[in-house]
Amino acid sequence: MKFYVCIKQVPDVNAPLQIKDGKLVQDADRNILNAYDASAVEEALVLTEAHGGEVEVVLAGPEKAKETLRKALAMGAHKGTHIVTSGDEPFDSFSFGKILAKFFSDKEYNFILCGKQSQDTDSGLTGSILAELLDKPYVTNAVGLKLEGETLTVKRQGDAGQEMIEVPSPGVVTCSNDMNDPRIPSLKGIMQSKRKPVETISVADIDAGVSADDVKTRVLSFEEKPEREPGKKYEGEPEEIAREVARLLDSAESVI
Amino acid sequence: MSTLLTYISVNDGKIKRSSLEVLSRCNQLAKEKGLTSAALVVDQNPGAVTDTLKKYGPSVIYTIENPIFKNHLNTPLLKALSAAVEKINPKLVAFASTEGSKDILGALAANRRASALADMSEFELTDNGVKGKRPVMASKIISAVEAEGECVMITVRSGSYDVVEQEGDTSVEPIDFSFSDDELRLTLKEIISSSSDRIDLSEAEVVIAAGRGVKDEEGRNLISELASVLNAGVGASRALTEAGDYDPSLQIGQTGKVVSPQLYIGIGISGAIQHVAGMANSKVIVAINKDPDAPIFDIADYGLVGDLYKVLPPFIEEIKKVKSEK
Ligand SMILES: Cc1cc2nc3c(=O)[nH]c(=O)nc-3n(C[C@H](O)[C@H](O)[C@H](O)COP(=O)(O)OP(=O)(O)OC[C@H]3O[C@@H](n4cnc5c(N)ncnc54)[C@H](O)[C@@H]3O)c2cc1C
Ligand SMILES: Nc1ncnc2c1ncn2[C@@H]1O[C@H](COP(=O)(O)O)[C@@H](O)[C@H]1O
Repeated sequence: MKFYVCIKQVPDVNAPLQIKDGKLVQDADRNILNAYDASAVEEALVLTEAHGGEVEVVLAGPEKAKETLRKALAMGAHKGTHIVTSGDEPFDSFSFGKILAKFFSDKEYNFILCGKQSQDTDSGLTGSILAELLDKPYVTNAVGLKLEGETLTVKRQGDAGQEMIEVPSPGVVTCSNDMNDPRIPSLKGIMQSKRKPVETISVADIDAGVSADDVKTRVLSFEEKPEREPGKKYEGEPEEIAREVARLLDSAESVI
Repeated sequence: MSTLLTYISVNDGKIKRSSLEVLSRCNQLAKEKGLTSAALVVDQNPGAVTDTLKKYGPSVIYTIENPIFKNHLNTPLLKALSAAVEKINPKLVAFASTEGSKDILGALAANRRASALADMSEFELTDNGVKGKRPVMASKIISAVEAEGECVMITVRSGSYDVVEQEGDTSVEPIDFSFSDDELRLTLKEIISSSSDRIDLSEAEVVIAAGRGVKDEEGRNLISELASVLNAGVGASRALTEAGDYDPSLQIGQTGKVVSPQLYIGIGISGAIQHVAGMANSKVIVAINKDPDAPIFDIADYGLVGDLYKVLPPFIEEIKKVKSEK
């Protein structure tokens, strides 16, 4: 069983940030493994531990993103490929979808796992773009995976309920972080990760036909969210504050 | 004349309100720019909703009818949408943002060589595409974005636009569609659906959200009681959907659903940014938390500092009283 997991390095949304002249400035350059991708790695590891096989992680990103690739290797992934970009290209999900599709075009695999979305942009496009470009069946928003033979049964979180869907190999699945708690790399895992094979390719050598000029979606600027007017805190006797606020929801707000 | 096409989500024979929000916005843009606003219904029985849909005044309602659309599966939906886009050749295809539309947006756009923007909170047309806004960084920040292309596809967050009824002549045009089982590639084995009589969270006027502070059955009973008094939808933080106390489809936040009710009441919820990402656009926010420094108080209009087990019973009782006085 061969799993590939597409992983991305993203800025930590918990780090303080500011907007200067329409640009996003992080106080600290804190970058992490996209949480949804961490869940995808975890799930691939659990499945290969139970059924045998190999997990390879693929990351397209700048040189500094190598630490994120190492993190996935420290979790237990067997090898990795780093498709190196300059980090300045205005690439969107389509660009990465095309780069990854070209990368996978001559690879053998059973399943490619992606995160359901990037934690910083919430786009959630790359996985299904990749599946379409590779002409493979896909399921998004997986909250559970089960492997029987070469068939993966995906529990997908839909709008109202959960759908159990069988995907034949080879296929693509995008993962929610609601399916597991990704393991924290052990010291041993971190030591071992340093010896694991990482192939490095430049994005130009992938020759996916993406360039800054043909990116069709662009971020123009960033803006603060309109602030909410600060509200009021009610402290004191539970009985009293509860009754007071209940009344106000009617008399002042007319929402009940 | 160029068309703005709104995909209408239908669930159990009912149109999702968020699709009507998108349609209303497209109607308005079509009027401003002299374009055609059309709606597309892909369902096992589109005829059941066309009369209702006419009240919102699209010029054309395109329908694709097939029993396969009883349940969501991306393969037939992609084939249907691809056929519709090919026939109609729209400038814009707009969807309400749902798990169903997020499932296919990227693949459809890749298939039609269109560009795509997900989860917009505002959008307008430009000479060669679409521009607008979308929340990013767990909705802490708004990003102004644009997409170029002869066809742009977008999903729109619920609550972004008002629903407006409008008079007009609407024609209904069925689009031919066939689908055979061997095109499916995926097999839908089972649907584990949560009870269907429940109030749809993304459309509820009042939402009660339970968090880790709701520890036990007693707490959950208080939540249910409050919800029934207020006729509210019940949601939960990830802490409780993960623990199995609430159905996963009830999760509110970055991974879960976006809600924008008139009234949101967060109970025993700390207010992590990933939760707030899904509820910050609520009109009135009430929080009940025993920790006076809980981040949820930074965005709450009414912050009740106290133990939920002590605050909720008199709160429920007083609301009952207020209601009975009306
Ligand atoms: C990528 C990503 C996506 C995520 N997506 C989501 C999402 O969609 N939705 C979501 O909710 N979370 C999401 N999370 C998780 C999120 O970060 C928080 O962990 C989660 O929201 C915490 O839930 P909580 O507020 O219920 O629990 P806690 O943070 O543990 O807060 C519990 C609160 O209850 C209070 N409390 C305890 N007892 C009482 C009492 N008796 N009376 C009153 N108050 C009490 C405490 O003071 C505390 O503030 C995501 C995380 C990541 C990394
Ligand atoms: N640069 C990248 N390198 C590897 N995988 C990526 C990259 N960009 C996106 N992905 C994958 O696609 C998913 C969704 O991305 P997005 O469309 O940006 O929300 C991520 O969770 C990753 O699994």
